Amino acid sequence: MSLLELKNVSKIYGELKALDNVSLHVDQGEWVAIMGPSGSGKSTMMNIIGCMDKPTLGEVLLDGVDIAKENSKRLTDIRRDKIGLIFQQFHMVNYLTAVENVMVSQYYHSMPDEKEALEALGRVGLRERARHLPSQLSGGEQQRVCVARALINHPELILADEPTGNLDEANENIVLDLFRQLHREGTTLIVVTHDPEVAEAAQRTIVLEHGRVAREIINENFEA
Amino acid sequence: MSRRKMFLRMITASLLRRRSRMIVALLSIGIGATILSGLVTIYYDVPRQMGAQFRSYGANMLLVGDGETPLTTETASAALDAIPAENVIGATPYRYVSVQMVKRQQSFVAAGTDFEQVTRTSPYFSVDGRYPENHREVLVGKEVADAIGVKLNSIMELTYKPEETTGGERSEIRPGDRIAGSAEGWGGGLVYVTAELDEEMKIASLTVNADTQTEEIGGQCAEANYTNRFIGRAFPPEEKDADVVSGATLTSRAVLSALQTAVPVSKTAAVQTGNTLNLTVVGILQTGGEEEGYVFLSQSDMAALTGEEGKIDVMELSVSASAEELEGYAEAITGEGSGVLARLVKRVTKSETAVLAKLQALVFLVTVVVLLLTMICVSTTMMAVVTERRKEIGLRKALGASDNGIRAEFLGEGMFLGALGGLLGAALGFGFAQVVSVNVFGSSITFQPLLLPVTVVVSMVIAALSCLLPIKRAVQIDPALVLKGE
Repeated sequence: MSLLELKNVSKIYGELKALDNVSLHVDQGEWVAIMGPSGSGKSTMMNIIGCMDKPTLGEVLLDGVDIAKENSKRLTDIRRDKIGLIFQQFHMVNYLTAVENVMVSQYYHSMPDEKEALEALGRVGLRERARHLPSQLSGGEQQRVCVARALINHPELILADEPTGNLDEANENIVLDLFRQLHREGTTLIVVTHDPEVAEAAQRTIVLEHGRVAREIINENFEA
Repeated sequence: MSRRKMFLRMITASLLRRRSRMIVALLSIGIGATILSGLVTIYYDVPRQMGAQFRSYGANMLLVGDGETPLTTETASAALDAIPAENVIGATPYRYVSVQMVKRQQSFVAAGTDFEQVTRTSPYFSVDGRYPENHREVLVGKEVADAIGVKLNSIMELTYKPEETTGGERSEIRPGDRIAGSAEGWGGGLVYVTAELDEEMKIASLTVNADTQTEEIGGQCAEANYTNRFIGRAFPPEEKDADVVSGATLTSRAVLSALQTAVPVSKTAAVQTGNTLNLTVVGILQTGGEEEGYVFLSQSDMAALTGEEGKIDVMELSVSASAEELEGYAEAITGEGSGVLARLVKRVTKSETAVLAKLQALVFLVTVVVLLLTMICVSTTMMAVVTERRKEIGLRKALGASDNGIRAEFLGEGMFLGALGGLLGAALGFGFAQVVSVNVFGSSITFQPLLLPVTVVVSMVIAALSCLLPIKRAVQIDPALVLKGE
């Protein structure tokens, strides 16, 4: 069953076609990597799927709803309810502790629940670091907090933008292991990356070039 | 945990864990609130402070009799009940009579008063020497002192001339009255008589003061074997009733004449055989005004001189109040119908009101300017905060914060800062007003409890208004901002 479907999506800035007639579908529970050199349209696609931007042309069906037609208020609601975001730069609220950062996501979604937030941190192995401020955490730890924050509201789709781009190998493996766990639990994952190793962890890799889908690679060695 | 609790947790964390930035914002609000609450305190205290200052320019209200009921210290004091006691700076009774210096043909006005009150209602009086404190002491106006050549510690012998002040006021003499009078004897010197009448209008007692006459001759008229001759005679005595002391015809005639022209005096008045007092000059008064032409006695000395206790002509009041309040008091006193009329010294009250209005307008203007400056300052700080937190705002929006959520957070932070700054400002503002008050007016101010909540609320409103523009910018931030790998 398809969770996300892009139909002939284009994003045009003046004469530049950031996305040029892209079609793509992602099934429920699937783990997809999006690769491509810079300027290939990765970020634009990410913004559109993440309900932070709208395409110039085409349809974007997320869970059956065409988000290309929604207003920005509705987009915020959809993003909050269905999508968990993970960023390359981690992006934590720097004056809030790890657990509070997780709770911010709960706060905007529904009800802050400290116990649940602590459990989520326990899942990413940071139960002991819950009361630390971002400045007291390493990059890997910060990214794990962001994973906990992304999964706290049980989103249907986790959208990760270069999640391991600023991490060393050990932390990269921890994050990929977390993704594997989420995948086993049935969460749909879309990971934008330029790192072949990260892409290889996914079931399928879509390669973008000049705003078009250049090719699609199925990972035959994929281990769930 | 409730959403509200999380909201407060985020706001307090933002303020506490981003201390340096927040301290700047807090200071800008706090200093604004300080000056604001300080100026408001001064604004409301100016009338009180200036009122006290103005009161040094003399009385602003007069109590006088209505022409029918004589004004006394008692009736005037009773009328004073219409004014709150704490507003009465001073209440000075004055009794004006014409007096003559014995053995000199110069007369001038003597005022009987209460010197303790004089220092309150007329603090500008400048006295060379001191105010009278004991019996038989006198304060002499400079003009009088120069005219008759008295100096400090001189002795002045003063004689009361009732016909000059009570002339025209003579009332009917009834049985049982005490009467007093005077007439010129030998050499122009005055002879005084005091007598009591019985119920049949006969003379019951008679006292004569003939100190101005030659002791061995006219003086005999003051002795009992002369005065007793009048006892039992019908009043007024006729020429045939008056035996003439040999050699003292003029004095004898003066006694008769004084009795014939005598007027009733208060029964309670102490018996004064002679309305002549020897007074020691203890002070020379300089005011630059008409007071320099008077001599001032204590009320008890005035009573001794006139034989009339308690009677006054005017009571000068120095009242700390606005012009409207003064008018209200004056109406209340006059309206009581007790025979006491209250009049305002318009010259004083009008100029006071004008000066006060100008001062308050000035302070008000400064307050408004400070408010505007505070708003600019807070707004600038909040703008810096928004710029600094663009990523955070983008992140919050990416995590699902609605525009109203972002507004609430920044407004909440701003108002929290406003409340803190307001508290700080209310406390510091009182200190500021105190310092200004002590240095400018020389007196301390009273704390206005209402000013605390008012300052806090005003600071919160200013902080909220200052946040409007920065919040507008915050809401416009694009959540996609955080996805760009900067």
